[in-house]
Amino acid sequence: MNQQLIEQIVKEVMSSMGTVSEETSKTDSMTVKVDAQKDYPLGEKRPELIKTPTNKDLDQITLQGVIDGSVTSEDVRIAPETLELQAQVAESMRRKPLAQNFRRAAELIAVPDERILEIYNALRPYRSTKEELLAIAEELEGKFNAKMNAKLVREAADVYEKRDRLKKD
Amino acid sequence: MKSKRFQVLSERPVNQDGFVAEWPEVGLVAMSGPNDPKPSIRIERGIVVELDGKKREEFDFIDTFIADYAINLEKAEEAMSIDSNEFARMLVDINVPREKIIPLSTAMTPAKLCDVVKDMNVVELMMALQKMRARKTPSNQCHVTNLKDNPVQIAADAAEAALRGFDEQETTVGIVRYAPFNALGLLVGAQTGRGGILTQCSVEEATELEMGMRGLTCYAETVSVYGTEPVFVDGDDTPFSKAFLASAYASRGLKMRFTSGTGSEVQMGYAEGKSMLYLEARCIFVTKGAGSQGLQNGSISCIGVPGGVPSGIRAVLAENLFTTMMDMEVASGNDQTFSHSDIRRTARTLMQMLPGTDFIFSGYSATPNYDNMFAGSNFDAEDFDDYNVLQRDLKVDGGLRPVSEDEVVAIRNKAARAIQVVFEGLGLPAITDQEVEAATYAHGSNDMPDRNVVEDLRAADDMMKRGITGIDIVKALSKGGFDDVAQSVLNMLKQRVSGDYLHTSAIIDKDWKIVSAVNDLNDYQGPGTGYRMSDARWEEIKAIPRAIRPEDVN
Repeated sequence: MNQQLIEQIVKEVMSSMGTVSEETSKTDSMTVKVDAQKDYPLGEKRPELIKTPTNKDLDQITLQGVIDGSVTSEDVRIAPETLELQAQVAESMRRKPLAQNFRRAAELIAVPDERILEIYNALRPYRSTKEELLAIAEELEGKFNAKMNAKLVREAADVYEKRDRLKKD
Repeated sequence: MKSKRFQVLSERPVNQDGFVAEWPEVGLVAMSGPNDPKPSIRIERGIVVELDGKKREEFDFIDTFIADYAINLEKAEEAMSIDSNEFARMLVDINVPREKIIPLSTAMTPAKLCDVVKDMNVVELMMALQKMRARKTPSNQCHVTNLKDNPVQIAADAAEAALRGFDEQETTVGIVRYAPFNALGLLVGAQTGRGGILTQCSVEEATELEMGMRGLTCYAETVSVYGTEPVFVDGDDTPFSKAFLASAYASRGLKMRFTSGTGSEVQMGYAEGKSMLYLEARCIFVTKGAGSQGLQNGSISCIGVPGGVPSGIRAVLAENLFTTMMDMEVASGNDQTFSHSDIRRTARTLMQMLPGTDFIFSGYSATPNYDNMFAGSNFDAEDFDDYNVLQRDLKVDGGLRPVSEDEVVAIRNKAARAIQVVFEGLGLPAITDQEVEAATYAHGSNDMPDRNVVEDLRAADDMMKRGITGIDIVKALSKGGFDDVAQSVLNMLKQRVSGDYLHTSAIIDKDWKIVSAVNDLNDYQGPGTGYRMSDARWEEIKAIPRAIRPEDVN
């Protein structure tokens, strides 16, 4: 078993536990600082920085791979590390809200599709009580380590309370 | 006696249009409304405590979101202290580059932007838009829909539209349950026409997100925001739910933009007595604060409202400009039918076509008007040659090109055959050779045989239940002998791995290069700078098939 495979297994186990290797990704992104002028588009100029969440390289995503089944829909997703790099590109273009969005998005990668749709619906007006929204914030923070998203949901809970947009009994 | 002159005039198309006098109390005023707030900002310890004349304790949820997320507070006091007319002059001045404007315009408030443009005429607004557009190279988007939701016709029309030059394509549905088929037809057709076209299917937010996650679409646009709180709530959302949705899309590596437009608040009955442009400015700030890379605006589905009041079409141009001043991509409207008059609809489109925008139309109808399920468009398939001649007359790059009948017939046929093998490969109701033939030569759905709708809808539901993804489409194309199209669909799926196309104004060119407001940032500074069409592009625009050449004349 080679080093790369071990890393991949560890990563998958951790991500299935809902605690995406936050430490690793933080360290990686700290050491790599990309610049919009030099490095963008990353897929073209810095392909070595891009990995799928299943730890494949971009050039491993081939038509042959799809046909023989070695490339699946799990392989055509974005990794949190990649969104962090894209956030850095946005920052070097002085587009802070866009960078912030990419970082919130990086946190949401670990959240399953159905749960994403449910949380979105819960944030719509009159759908949730304050307690329900705070519970979602807890879940985002505790289960998925999604701190920025948790903060957004807590702010929504406060604003909805003030503006009378919480679920009515 | 009746005047014969007035009789003739009354029968002109323009007199079938609706017009209304200004009525500011209900919001029927395009810009500079008497009840619009005066621009102001007060910041205490990094928190906005007053915004456009309102104290923090009086903020509604839109004010709160704008104050906390949308304004670059570091420069806010400096930007707000600049005289509005002085700033308007900077916008028009070719010696002040975009990079000098953006740090200031992104530090202003909604009322301040309105104050800046209040004395600008349409030529000045167009000059500003030419400079402030984020991507240097202008582009165009089309609608591909039809009355019958026929997926074979969608594929053929998408392929033709790609050949004609549209870089983005949008579909929607007549019958909601057809959405997966329409998205599928558009994806396969567009990638057959030219690899790298971005496609989307406009439906309810949650469904749209799901189709994106599956890889049936490449981006999303129907993420609507509104300028007053009651209308936002009627739209069943808040700035917070939309901000979450923006992140949800990016978390799946999908490009996304928001949608808004002047007139929506009046149309929905809660304009709070404010002008359409002021309310739209609030939408643009919400979009910015949510971290969306761009916005579709320019009144969009409410164009009849600003179109009916004085200076309304000028306000629509101003709202496009605001989006660019907030450093975002603008897909600038021109999409819904708003006038019976060819003169009016052309004049309305020149406002964006002449300066160029990221997408001049956010839905040029690539089908006949009767097949456009977004309630028609300002320009339709019947206008293709007119549009090509406008580009040629004015030497303006409107994003399209003249094409020959032979190449159109060939590409439509290939797309129809490609969707035929995809339906076969995915176990969907068969597409017959007769349908392929009809789609190859069709103008609209009147030329298409009927499909078994009940059977189609059942299969579309089932396709979603079975969890069909973009990867299955790639397989079906390859198995059916369309390896080139399969490779293009796979390349589109790969875009969501690298995420380069999540950036402002990103499109993908024919060589699979990302062209965005990162690596193709607008650097216009007067004649000879900014976007200038290449010689090759000009030759293409010049070469309309009907032009008589010297060698044709003896």
